[in-house]
Amino acid sequence: MTGRIRVAVTGVGVRTPAGNDVKELIDRLAEGRSTAATVPAFVAHDLAVTFACRVPEFDHTPYVTLRELRQLDRTTYLAVAAATDAVAAAGLKPLPDPEQVGVSVGVGAGGLVAAEELVGEYGDRPTRVPAYTVPRMMANAAAARVAIRIGARGPALTYVLACASGAAAIGEAMQKIRCGELAVVVAGGSEAPISPVAVSSFARMRAMSERNDAPEAASRPFDAARDGFVMGEGAAFLVLENWTHARSRGAEILGELLGYGANSDAHHIVAPRPDGAVAANCMRRALTDAGLTPPQVGHVNAHGTSTPHNDLAEALAIVDCFGSDGPPVTASKGVLGHSLGAAGAVEAVVTLLSAVSGAVPPVANFVRGDETTELIDVVSGGPRLITPKPALSNSFAFGGHNVSLVFAPAADGEGR
Amino acid sequence: MQRAELAEVVRERVAGVLGVPVEEIDESTDLRQTYGVDSLELMEIGARLENSLNTRLAAEDLLGMENIGNAIDLLHERLRERP
Repeated sequence: MTGRIRVAVTGVGVRTPAGNDVKELIDRLAEGRSTAATVPAFVAHDLAVTFACRVPEFDHTPYVTLRELRQLDRTTYLAVAAATDAVAAAGLKPLPDPEQVGVSVGVGAGGLVAAEELVGEYGDRPTRVPAYTVPRMMANAAAARVAIRIGARGPALTYVLACASGAAAIGEAMQKIRCGELAVVVAGGSEAPISPVAVSSFARMRAMSERNDAPEAASRPFDAARDGFVMGEGAAFLVLENWTHARSRGAEILGELLGYGANSDAHHIVAPRPDGAVAANCMRRALTDAGLTPPQVGHVNAHGTSTPHNDLAEALAIVDCFGSDGPPVTASKGVLGHSLGAAGAVEAVVTLLSAVSGAVPPVANFVRGDETTELIDVVSGGPRLITPKPALSNSFAFGGHNVSLVFAPAADGEGR
Repeated sequence: MQRAELAEVVRERVAGVLGVPVEEIDESTDLRQTYGVDSLELMEIGARLENSLNTRLAAEDLLGMENIGNAIDLLHERLRERP
């Protein structure tokens, strides 16, 4: 492995239902307490699902002016805030060489909510649409706005892989650094899908929990009583940096992005392959890329949506890859809900920080597994304290897109 | 529509796009110099004026609307020309 360019993480920024900075996020995950709550607009519309996990309001002034804010949909707004925080945390203000800095953004539905509002308001009078419509809705809006906000003049790319978008954006960004094209990539994902039509669209597929009388108990990845996912929203960005570049400017290295694997089930447009065999191969790809064997992995941050089918297939995939005596498994969606295109990026941040601290957060609402999910070691009750070690994060998406990332505590030296 | 009434509509729409109190906008306001208005914002001001005045405005007219007083004069003329 010597000679390969290593990729450091030198800053992170988040907007999540558990809080708008990393400490709040980690503290809430350690408590294992869901953030789901009733959404009055969903009750008013008599939706099948009347709750979600929302990002707390925050002051826009450090990120965008009120004038700019009107031109952004919420997905882009959350992205700009999280990315700006990540760049500040990395100490990259101003950017050393803007041409060497790229942006890599994953969005799943992107401007879906903006489109919903647009059609609701102007569908029957299209001549009256605002002049801001196109820049607000275009799928690349988040990547473009992040590039503008931080002044990055390298490529600003958008990856669309539904619920694996954020993870793919991070993995692809790593490749750009490894091949020497860029020194720094601000990489992550964003999604704000909490609106009546968007949520109802998922509910009509019967993919969501309808536990309206107890929203906080609804998201329960791998638990035997799980009955669907809970909608969330959020954004997370990591500053990925050529290791030598980070060292030479004296940056604090939070950890290392060590491996990336991606593949496709090629099975069904939304259902996962039931045996998880392709997902297991995705994890193996990421481990091979990281130069690790399964026993070297300290924990797995599962995709863990809390749908019956995902969690079943993922449990089988984890057993397939790691054997019956695999590492502890956590799933952040029990606390945060499912933020679609952002989820892989949010969970990348959580995986990195858990790998470094050795404190693996519990899965909210997990009481006991069913006969399949009990085959894996689900962390419950409180954080599991382990030796800091590399960790693997899964993102498995509608469309059959699978992505796995491997993060590790920072270890100096020439390659691994 | 009287010029004073039109002036009120223009000031309100401009203030709406810029997110400032309507009192800040007067006939001497220069949108580019004082507010750094870009072409997209100018087009949004135009879109809102079209909705309010129930008329269509040419893009070159909108680009000439940087000075509020001039904009009101221009609109006043265009609306009078209307059959």
